[in-house]
Amino acid sequence: MMTETELQSQTAGESAETEEQELFRRYRETGSRELRNKIAEKYLHIAAILAKKFVGRGVEYDDLYQVASLALLKGIDRFDERKGLKFSTFITPTITGEIKNYFRDRSRLVHLPRRISELRASVRRTAEELSAELGKKPTAAEIAERLGVSEEEVLYCAEAGGVVSLDRTEGDSDMSFYDILPAENDVFDRIETHDVVSSALKGLDEREKKLVECRFGEELSQAETARRMGVSQMYVSRMERKILEKLRERLKKSMAE
Amino acid sequence: MKSIFEISFPLKSELMTTVRLAAGGVCAMKGLDIDAAEDCKVCITESLLLLKHRGYLTANIFFYEGEPLSVRIVGEGEGDGTPSPEDDISLALLSALLGDVETTERDGKLHSISFEIGLK
Repeated sequence: MMTETELQSQTAGESAETEEQELFRRYRETGSRELRNKIAEKYLHIAAILAKKFVGRGVEYDDLYQVASLALLKGIDRFDERKGLKFSTFITPTITGEIKNYFRDRSRLVHLPRRISELRASVRRTAEELSAELGKKPTAAEIAERLGVSEEEVLYCAEAGGVVSLDRTEGDSDMSFYDILPAENDVFDRIETHDVVSSALKGLDEREKKLVECRFGEELSQAETARRMGVSQMYVSRMERKILEKLRERLKKSMAE
Repeated sequence: MKSIFEISFPLKSELMTTVRLAAGGVCAMKGLDIDAAEDCKVCITESLLLLKHRGYLTANIFFYEGEPLSVRIVGEGEGDGTPSPEDDISLALLSALLGDVETTERDGKLHSISFEIGLK
């Protein structure tokens, strides 16, 4: 049999659940931004709790809290109260998954050199200390003097380390970083290389061209190339050396011109 | 199943860090990667909080031989405890990190939590 306290606690729990369902039902039906904000505020503590649980893995709490909060917002839109699940039970794996993805993705980001990373932390700490001491924001020169490093290094640290969106535009330009950054295989480089190589290859006879095609086009082994051409591997090896010397000479000449 | 390491300690908040360190040591010894070891520490902490909120005075943690690493956390002793609203989050977090979590009850109260972690 339930005690009075247990009964009260159960009744309170049921009423909270009904209130939760009602809130999500209204949001689902209206899509109201105001309701969404209300829900987010009500459950933001879950994002905070979960973010704290993952502190100590090399990512600052504020970053984790931000990731968790974004996951919470996404989760609010996906939650369907008709399925009978409590929101906290639904959102915890969602937030946990996003945090774990963040850890995984972060390990693929470009890492700052250790020295810069450490100096960056010192710059931030010193800036806070000087702000308190001077009663104003310190200049780069003041921070540099306190840390015994050059002003350039302080400025460099201020720039380094931030992650920016590839979709961000600069100034009045409509071009995003993604538009400006060169691709890994820059098309102009490829065209240029193609031009140079094809003009150098023009001077080779058919047999030599066949060897280049096998070895550097199809990336076959010397033995396989020899088999295709009906010659010995030794012959392919000698011929390859001769062709490369010839091409090198031609490329040197064409670059000098 | 033979346990390779056991810890028995009073369920007090100030001992959590020590327990987490010991758990990290066992995970390292068993060759778990950093992420799995960190997850294991989080799961042990959450399990201990669940037991603490149910009034247990002592916790026993058993690490068992084998791959993946098996862990069992058992509450002992009777004291005051109040289930916390955060318990739901703890349980959901355990499920999210582990997939399978086994719990047992004694006198209608959560008594032990068992899980496996690490690559098979």
